[in-house]
Amino acid sequence: MEYIEFFDEGTTDPALLGGKGSSLIKLMQIGIRVPPGFILKANSYKTFLDESENSEQLKELLKTELSIKKVLHFSKSVKQLIRSTRIPPKIEKQIKIGFKKLKKESGSQASYAVRSSATIEDTEAFSFAGQAKSYLYNYTFDEIILSVKKCWASLFSPTALFYILQMNKKGHKLSLLDIRMAVVIQKMVNAEISGVLFTSNVINNNNNEMMINSTWGLGETIANNMIIPDMFILNKKKFEIIKTVVGAKEKKSICNPKGSFTIIIDTEPKYQEICSLNQNQLKKLYDLGSTLEREFHSPQDIEWAIENDIIYTLQSRPITTLKKET
Amino acid sequence: MERIGEGLSCSSKSEAIGELVFVKTVEDVINLFDSATGKICLVEEAGTTTLGPILSDLSGVLCTTGSAGSHLAIVSREFGLPCVMGVRFNVKDLNTLNGKKCKIMTEEDDKGIVLIES
Repeated sequence: MEYIEFFDEGTTDPALLGGKGSSLIKLMQIGIRVPPGFILKANSYKTFLDESENSEQLKELLKTELSIKKVLHFSKSVKQLIRSTRIPPKIEKQIKIGFKKLKKESGSQASYAVRSSATIEDTEAFSFAGQAKSYLYNYTFDEIILSVKKCWASLFSPTALFYILQMNKKGHKLSLLDIRMAVVIQKMVNAEISGVLFTSNVINNNNNEMMINSTWGLGETIANNMIIPDMFILNKKKFEIIKTVVGAKEKKSICNPKGSFTIIIDTEPKYQEICSLNQNQLKKLYDLGSTLEREFHSPQDIEWAIENDIIYTLQSRPITTLKKET
Repeated sequence: MERIGEGLSCSSKSEAIGELVFVKTVEDVINLFDSATGKICLVEEAGTTTLGPILSDLSGVLCTTGSAGSHLAIVSREFGLPCVMGVRFNVKDLNTLNGKKCKIMTEEDDKGIVLIES
């Protein structure tokens, strides 16, 4: 279809699907367990810019010469405009088709994650880490539509704009009109444990080790610096736990019990002290890391989540920071 | 210099010296935009990737929570910046550290320590 692509359809063009979207399709193709979903391609964002009722106003705004002093005001204006603009009906129609199919596959109790997949995000040059957002536990079509717009708007969050300013200061030439975003709509994993697996030790650039951060609940507490997670260093050549450091894990992110989206709660004291992964789970993660590094031919930064003792891979991207000599 | 805290060094064998600035809001970041060079920024928990616009000018980053897998650590490594996450300070009021000369260094493989000129 013109605007959406199901994970099992098979093309992996990062320019259309964004880094995250294309990597999820690749993961699925090599038999890695990925929650089912579809991608709203980057051309839908372009069509939104070109054909929505506020198109002229939006494009005019994005031509603004960005400066540090204007960032907050500018970000607010763009975000408000995007969120209040209707997505062209031909795109909405396809999202509806995708959502209907996904719902059928996922069952009536399922909820959905809406995740940004910017076309400049997660390339080998820069990670754009954390600049664009994800919106979790959406239940209805209307919630999904709003979260899609929020994802597009997050391209212009102060954080994302700062990153772009910074990259331009370093000689890159990123224009606000050139940035595109695909959006991943995916069955939510009700994660009991989540984390990040680096298939090289990013701390000491040791390519003979893997490094894992893990915590209870959803992984956003790790990505957003909210907690000190557990840390494990593994021997990469042969599974062996070299080091375990239990982190404080004072807070955890869970599904909002009153409805959609997530909330942050205090972790029960006894769980703060317990290691969030057992040896069996660590071995499974080690195997996952080994497979992905082999398949993608480079050390990977992998986001994963565990529900009912099953590991789901939510993203795999190249590690951007390893020094060449190691 | 006096040792005031330790945490997880996110890039080993790293060391930085600079004036410590406690950054709490996006406005603090904007105010630092033209004067961030050589400073060490201290931030607390969420939203800390807003250090983005000044990151490459800084000489180091400290965060009271987080880990090597945090976005802040990933981006700091991208800029080759010494970064210590999950710092536990033995100082009650972190505001008192503002403006002081600070040194961060890796003591062991992944243990980062924070020193301050008293």
